[in-house]
Amino acid sequence: MTSQPYLVQPPRIAAGLVNLFTSAKEAELIMGDLHEEFSQLASTSGLAVGRGWYWRQALKTITHLVFAAFRTAPWSTTAAVAGGFMLRRLIAGVPEHAIFAVLERYQVYDHHFKVYAFFASTGIGIGHVFSFLFVGCVVALAARGREMAATTTLSLIYGAMIGLALLVWMTERPGHEYYLWMLPWNLADLFAIVIGGAIVRMRRSPANTLPSGA
Amino acid sequence: MASPDYLGEFEHIVVLALLRLEDRAYGVTVRQEIELRTKREVSIGAVYATLDRMETKGYVKSRLGDPTPERGGRSKRFFRVTAKGVAAVNRTQKALQSMTEGLSLIGRYT
Repeated sequence: MTSQPYLVQPPRIAAGLVNLFTSAKEAELIMGDLHEEFSQLASTSGLAVGRGWYWRQALKTITHLVFAAFRTAPWSTTAAVAGGFMLRRLIAGVPEHAIFAVLERYQVYDHHFKVYAFFASTGIGIGHVFSFLFVGCVVALAARGREMAATTTLSLIYGAMIGLALLVWMTERPGHEYYLWMLPWNLADLFAIVIGGAIVRMRRSPANTLPSGA
Repeated sequence: MASPDYLGEFEHIVVLALLRLEDRAYGVTVRQEIELRTKREVSIGAVYATLDRMETKGYVKSRLGDPTPERGGRSKRFFRVTAKGVAAVNRTQKALQSMTEGLSLIGRYT
């Protein structure tokens, strides 16, 4: 029986992530190598083993590429991350100001209280997600070729700050669940930074965005 | 006088893998050769980062191969060690030999 291992496709999400984190030059080689070894492994040890191997390799490669970005271009990558952090501080109050300006302009509080309540709570949360998305895009634009490394790092920094804030809040004010209510929004903010990076990365090399054959 | 450049640990391993593989050296075979001989799992990203760095230093050269279906229609890049790379391996090997000369390491700290 003749086997045709190349007909088996690697996990699409893992392949897509590797593609996002690699530069256009690296993507062809790294994804080709991963595809080839995955096909060999899937045909000899089974699809599940092959998929597990692919995911392990993908995560290790992504981790390596993030560190490599800081090793090869430490100043520009760090500057992009620090710039993103400062930009976020600069525009932190914009969503609230904009939303309340519109609500007051149209006197929403007096005529449509439910709408007012929605925009004054959920609307602000959504506004912040968009502001983080904007920051992610700007950071990625500044860190050309290392878009995902820079935005992932910024997201991890915010993640660490949120974790620390949560710990302090829970220690100092046990029983108050306000911060837990905020947590999904905070996680969405972190995700938005990385999505911003992915958008810029995809716009820069549309031909290499999707894994071929996937 | 500029001091001669030595290879880092992983660079050393990668160059030795290239020398072993001769004209069959590309990402997959290099990664597999290292895993087979060192029994340590290596990511393809680490292999390429090292190869790129060594190509910049002039220790290795590469050429693109043809796209193949088992790679999802992507090309491979074959690598070979340059004379400068071989000199760097020799220099590193000599330094290591000189540092380990007279030491009996086996069983010493086990």
